[in-house]
Amino acid sequence: METAIVPRNWIVAEFPTPAGLLEAAQTLREGGLTDIDTHTPYPLHGAEKFLGLKRSRVPLIALIGGIVGGVSGLVMQWWMNGYDWPLNIGNRPPFSAPAAIPITFECTVLFAALSIFFGTLALSGFPRPYHPAFDAEEFRSHSTHGFWLSIALPEGSDAQNASGKVSELGASLVKVVQEQVE
Amino acid sequence: MSDSRFPLPVLGDEKSSASVEPEVVSAPQSEATTVPDHGYHKSYWRSLEQKLNPEKYKSLNAREFPPNYFDVPKGVDRREFIGLLGASMALAGLTACSEKPVEPILAYTKNPEHMVVGDPLHYATAWSLRGVGTGLLVTAREGRPVKVEGNPEHPVNKGSTGAYDQALTISLYDPKRGQHVRRTASATKPGDIVTASWRTLREQLVTQGAEWAKDGGEGLRFLMEPSSSPSGGDLREKVLKRFPKAKFYAHAQLNHDNAIQGAELAFGTALHPSYALEDADVVVALDADLLEPLPENLGATRGWGERRSELSKLNRVYAIESRLSITGASADQRLRLKPSEIEGFARALLAELGGSVAGLNGLSAQPGRTLSDTEQKWVKAIARDLAGKPSRSLVAVGETQPPVVHAIAYAINSALGNVGTTLQLHPVLTHEKYSSVGTWYPELKEDVDAGKVKALVITAWNPVYASPFDLDVAGLIKKVPLSIYLGSHDDETAKVATWYLPAQHTLETWGDTRAVDGTASIIQPLIRPLFDGQSEHDLLSAFLDAPEQTAYDRLRAFWSGKVGLGFDAKWETWLSTGLIDGQTVPAQRPALNARGLSQALATAPAQGSGVELAFVPDYRVFDGRFANVTWLQEMPDPITKLTWDNAAMMSPGMAKKLGVDRESVIAISVNGQTLEAPVLPVPGYADDFIALPVGYGRELFPSGLPLGGVLGNPVNGGTGFNAYALQTSAALGFVSGAQVKAAGKTYDLALTQDHWTMEGREVSFSQTLAEFKKEPAVEESRGPLPTLLAPVVYEGYQWAMGVDTNRCTGCSACVVACVAENNIPVVGKHQIHRFNREMHWMRIDRYFAGDENEPEVINQPMMCQHCEAAPCEYVCPVNATTTSDEGLNEMVYNRCIGTRYCSNNCPYKVRRFNYLHWNGEKPALEQMAMNPDVTVRARGVMEKCTYCVQRIERTRIKARTEGRPIKEGEIVTACQQACPTHAISFGTLSDQNSETLAWHKDERRYDVLHELNTRPRTAYLMRVTNPNPELA
Amino acid sequence: MADPHAATAAMDPLEPVPLIIGQYTDATLTQSLFGHVWAKPTKGWLIMFALSLMGTGILGISVVITLGWGIGTWGNTIPMGWAWGIVNFVWWVGIGHAGTLISAILFLFQQKWRTAINRFAEAMTIFAVMCAGLFPALHTGRPWFDYFLFPYPSDTLLWPQFKSPLTWDVFAVSTYFTVSLLFWYLGLIPDFAALRDASTNKARRLVYGMLSLGWRGSGRHWNDYKSAYLLLAGLATPLVLSVHTIVSFDFAVSLLPGWHTTIFPPYFVAGAVFSGFAMVVTWLVPARQFCGLKHVITLRHLENMNKIIMLTGMLVAYGYMMEHFIAWYSGNVPEWDQFYDRATGNFRAIYWTMMFCNVVLPQVYWFKKARTSIPIMFVVSILVNVGMWSERFVIFVISLHHSFLPSMFKDYVPTLVDVGLLVGTIGMFSMLMLLFLKFFPAIAVSEVKELNHELAHAHVRPEANPRQSGA
Repeated sequence: METAIVPRNWIVAEFPTPAGLLEAAQTLREGGLTDIDTHTPYPLHGAEKFLGLKRSRVPLIALIGGIVGGVSGLVMQWWMNGYDWPLNIGNRPPFSAPAAIPITFECTVLFAALSIFFGTLALSGFPRPYHPAFDAEEFRSHSTHGFWLSIALPEGSDAQNASGKVSELGASLVKVVQEQVE
Repeated sequence: MSDSRFPLPVLGDEKSSASVEPEVVSAPQSEATTVPDHGYHKSYWRSLEQKLNPEKYKSLNAREFPPNYFDVPKGVDRREFIGLLGASMALAGLTACSEKPVEPILAYTKNPEHMVVGDPLHYATAWSLRGVGTGLLVTAREGRPVKVEGNPEHPVNKGSTGAYDQALTISLYDPKRGQHVRRTASATKPGDIVTASWRTLREQLVTQGAEWAKDGGEGLRFLMEPSSSPSGGDLREKVLKRFPKAKFYAHAQLNHDNAIQGAELAFGTALHPSYALEDADVVVALDADLLEPLPENLGATRGWGERRSELSKLNRVYAIESRLSITGASADQRLRLKPSEIEGFARALLAELGGSVAGLNGLSAQPGRTLSDTEQKWVKAIARDLAGKPSRSLVAVGETQPPVVHAIAYAINSALGNVGTTLQLHPVLTHEKYSSVGTWYPELKEDVDAGKVKALVITAWNPVYASPFDLDVAGLIKKVPLSIYLGSHDDETAKVATWYLPAQHTLETWGDTRAVDGTASIIQPLIRPLFDGQSEHDLLSAFLDAPEQTAYDRLRAFWSGKVGLGFDAKWETWLSTGLIDGQTVPAQRPALNARGLSQALATAPAQGSGVELAFVPDYRVFDGRFANVTWLQEMPDPITKLTWDNAAMMSPGMAKKLGVDRESVIAISVNGQTLEAPVLPVPGYADDFIALPVGYGRELFPSGLPLGGVLGNPVNGGTGFNAYALQTSAALGFVSGAQVKAAGKTYDLALTQDHWTMEGREVSFSQTLAEFKKEPAVEESRGPLPTLLAPVVYEGYQWAMGVDTNRCTGCSACVVACVAENNIPVVGKHQIHRFNREMHWMRIDRYFAGDENEPEVINQPMMCQHCEAAPCEYVCPVNATTTSDEGLNEMVYNRCIGTRYCSNNCPYKVRRFNYLHWNGEKPALEQMAMNPDVTVRARGVMEKCTYCVQRIERTRIKARTEGRPIKEGEIVTACQQACPTHAISFGTLSDQNSETLAWHKDERRYDVLHELNTRPRTAYLMRVTNPNPELA
Repeated sequence: MADPHAATAAMDPLEPVPLIIGQYTDATLTQSLFGHVWAKPTKGWLIMFALSLMGTGILGISVVITLGWGIGTWGNTIPMGWAWGIVNFVWWVGIGHAGTLISAILFLFQQKWRTAINRFAEAMTIFAVMCAGLFPALHTGRPWFDYFLFPYPSDTLLWPQFKSPLTWDVFAVSTYFTVSLLFWYLGLIPDFAALRDASTNKARRLVYGMLSLGWRGSGRHWNDYKSAYLLLAGLATPLVLSVHTIVSFDFAVSLLPGWHTTIFPPYFVAGAVFSGFAMVVTWLVPARQFCGLKHVITLRHLENMNKIIMLTGMLVAYGYMMEHFIAWYSGNVPEWDQFYDRATGNFRAIYWTMMFCNVVLPQVYWFKKARTSIPIMFVVSILVNVGMWSERFVIFVISLHHSFLPSMFKDYVPTLVDVGLLVGTIGMFSMLMLLFLKFFPAIAVSEVKELNHELAHAHVRPEANPRQSGA
């Protein structure tokens, strides 16, 4: 979703402390910039607040997945043993609810887990090998120890002035990278 | 049969093997080098290749068996291993493909008469063991005899059989049977061996016959298998007419001589006893194994069974014996005595009865020893019991007991008026009255040493092996310039004879035989001779100054001569019924010859001292002639549950005294001979006594056994030890004064049941009649139990079985019948000993209860119980075993993936698993014994008793086409059919007057492990004994 | 605690002993945690790896033999339809449980000390379940038809039989494996990213780059990631309990004396955790040594592990007690015979081994000395797994060998192939573990940094930290 037709300018800036990063992010967002993101080696407490994110949709996906799994598991057992081809298995009823519990449970968990995992990937747009921010060599520290901010500048806004604003907010390093569009 | 190498038999007359010049295809016969084409030369071509390109074809099919077939498998070789490595790297699915090789088969081009492909044909025939015949009904499938059953029309066996009869098919298809005529250049140089042909021999005999005839056959001797064949007798007369000075002997190591001599003592005439136990209220068995399922006993066994079926008819059997025989195990009371002590007991009994019974008071019999208090108590009690049942009692004596003991029994029986009622005495029907080695050896030896004997013809089974060590039979044969041995296998005797002729199997030959009561039957062949075998008749007829005749012509000529007009019609009936009318001989009622008897009694009985040995017949190989019959070798011994071996069996007490245990080897020395044998302690044996089953220690190895894993198992270990090596001609039955000491070695014994007691569990029940009347033990073990699940309601047939443990003798004929019917593979000693992987769908659990010296024995045939609430079913993850709507517990082989969960959860442990590809190594010849109605199970599949579902379905089809329901008793399972005592019933519970339903409602009925509420369809009837309260 | 760094330890105010020994910035921490990944393989590692390869080879041979000749090459008999193979299966599945338990349950309970070892334990889970999975697949008579176990539309129109515990097993184990794998990988993504960015050469960067799926630590992503991780943990928790419960059903649902026991589910789960934790300790002890992770996997981690081993050990002991008590109290003859036979029959040696290793041995952990002594815990952890293997042998084999009909009381002796399979799976397991330790982030780096961060925050507030340490 982030790849537009027209190459946009990006600003990536490293901040010395997580706190600084978060405050900067907030001020910029209030300053009207929308495409702001933080890049940190580990989740920062309250990042979602500073970035103004909504509640994650993952739990909902999980719930749906779980329900689908459970129901299909139960129905499968009833249909296969109880309806499609009932057999006299040692005088037991073809379909007996208690015996169906384990598999129903397992199916619930399996479907839920799968939908969580792939749901999360989808929400994050993964796998995604390329991102403009990666063009800045220094940016690589984001996963080990650096606290980074990335801003996708709107069309035609002035990169110089924007980066100046960022360094005013206490960034120890600011770089402008241009998105590559194939 | 994918690759049947054997053309179809067309019953009727065909020229015998060597007589006709071959037509287009098959190889010239007389060449020693070529493999004979199984002895027939009609151009049955198997394929176009054969028709068009015989040479190439021959090279392809020169071998009878696949290359290296007779080699002992040796682990894995490198290439094979690498191959497998590759294979399993590929999809495992490939392994599955290797299961089903693609082999083209050809359809019938010309249908033989009567033959509907896919339908079995039944032929009535017969066979004889030791000259005693029994009627058979043999099932043939597409020309292959696959199943032997008793002929229901036959007056003696009435359709029942023993294990030996059941195993006839596999002995026919035994790849180790003698296959080629063989001539040793000279008896002195047995080394160089030349294959020859029957034709050459016959020509030689014809030419030399003229020579011999000159001096009336001075130098001709015949050592024959005991035979009662009428046509055979006729042949002998003809031979004797031509060679008046020739001599006929018979040889059988286990024989009836003592009984016959006893009759001569008691009555002055040679008579052969048989018993009618259905009329005997009191039976005293003196070392007698009345219930051993031999042809002569089948009638008695059935009679005994009748008397055990209803409590009102319960008879009383006393067994006074040294070893624990199946008769002793089934008896109401048992007294253990050493074999030599039996005579004393018998004499005491005679003396005791002398007081009360008229006709015996003349006889004075000293026991020759002081009887123990127990013995005296027994003598008194038995005497009283016998005297109370005139003409409805019986005293029977075992074959190995000396003649005088038999004479005593005859005396008692005739005095009690039992002769003619419970004791049937028939004239001896075998051509030679006696057949024990002592009756011919000395005479023959004399003649041989004197150089009188020019030719010796041997048709007796393997006399070199089956004879006491002190007689050098082999040496004797070697001395004779021309010795001809006709035998089933190229065995010990064949090695020393100058000529070896493969004998035709009884299912390959034309002939006739007679049962104990004289009933005669035609032996008709079910299949053309598989190899170039000859029959005894063929051989004898070569000594006649007459043109060669086929066995068929000879037989017809003989009988038409007897019958005269209307022969052909009769002949048809004889063949179809399997009986020749008007041949039975009436039972005799001779008067007691008191003088002769008292003379015999005057000499005091020989006293045994020290350890006594008895040479007893083995329940599996008899005298050794069945040593190569895998079905019998793998059949667990009825008492010891031992397979593949024999052992020195003794009482636990004695074993303790010797400081030995099961499987430890002892050295037994007697008569200057020493034999090492593994020990097997068995409850109920007399002390200071060892029973040595004969017939083992052969050098033959049963073939077609699976590799049994890659860990380099032997193809098969067990062949046991040769008990004949301790036997002297003086004492064939038993000998005393043996020295026994531990040899400090051990030998593996493969037992199928290790635990011999019930460990205090209520698995099977036994009570005395009195106890049962007071309070039946089985009340708790039957009837419905509370359950949460409503039982399924069955409409229509409800197949069910009943097993009467009171009638079961444990003889195991049913086990072999099941093997034959259901294509059950043989797994060999190693697999049984190391892994308990025997595949028998039906086993007979044998439990000992009470004192180890006076054990009570309960036999409990155990097969799939077909539970209505089957524990095996709900654990199967793939629906491979389910309950049919007729209540059968069904196994779906091609759905089974082999988790073995069902077997784990089966409380009866009756399921069997194909741990290896048991059927993989089966040679083509053995495959011919397969029943095409029953799936041959692949590796990795679970299997179990199906209640013979294939028989149910055949009957169902028949009933449907006739538009009627299946009749009661119409379906007979293989085990039920074979059982001599009718201890098994099968039928549907939906039929109110079905026997099985009656058994299910019987007062003795119980369910095994009833408390588990598996609701088995197989009901058991508990054992109720009838002991004499005086001896309790 | 004789530890030089103790004075300068980054402290958690609530915790008496340090979780991370020494002062680290995120950068240095990254360095120290990835050190062993960049370093050339040590001699010790190479030797171990060679051995484990040999073991794997043995496994290969045993499998070929099993497929080539059939289950007959195992020691199984009638009545011992299940024996060595199933013992191994349950043993391995049990070992797997520690991973999920540590990463999921301890996560839910906010146990900070878990972070250093969870990644490691999860890896163990995956590999253990892989080993376990081999056995059910191989032990069928016709492995090439194993797919019959799955509900697929076949030309025979037949379906699996869902009342069979074995079918439950198929679902339970495969679900368990899948979920563990997802959970593990989800946790790995940020660390792969870290590896990607920390790695110097192109190849590594490419490989780790792919594995990290393009992770860039975005706040948005962290937002979803955290809730996903939490939810998966929430799911894994009941799952891990269900798996061994269902495995225990294989036996509890049957009717055999010694199998048909209602206490099995909790008792099996406890046993699983017991052996799993023992296995973690067995591996942690050398791993922290050779991978230079002593500063994040401290004695306190190990001590906590040992405490849990003792606890679960006592749960297992309780299970044994109840089994025996009920066998006696029920007055059921075969049941009581069964337990009597276990203690006195042919297999008594194995029974008493089990009793010693699982009941007596863990009691040493009452003493802090034992809990914190490396040699002791190493030996105990190994013996515990010996004990747990014996337990499974006792339950499965002895019950079958001594069931209902005395005529079918038979003995059992394994074959070389059986032994080969056990040795082989141990070999394969070790091989996978060694590869993991060498090439994967053996420690949940981002989580440790987060922890480090929290701790750092904790001790800038002096009053919160009695032992003043240099900031």
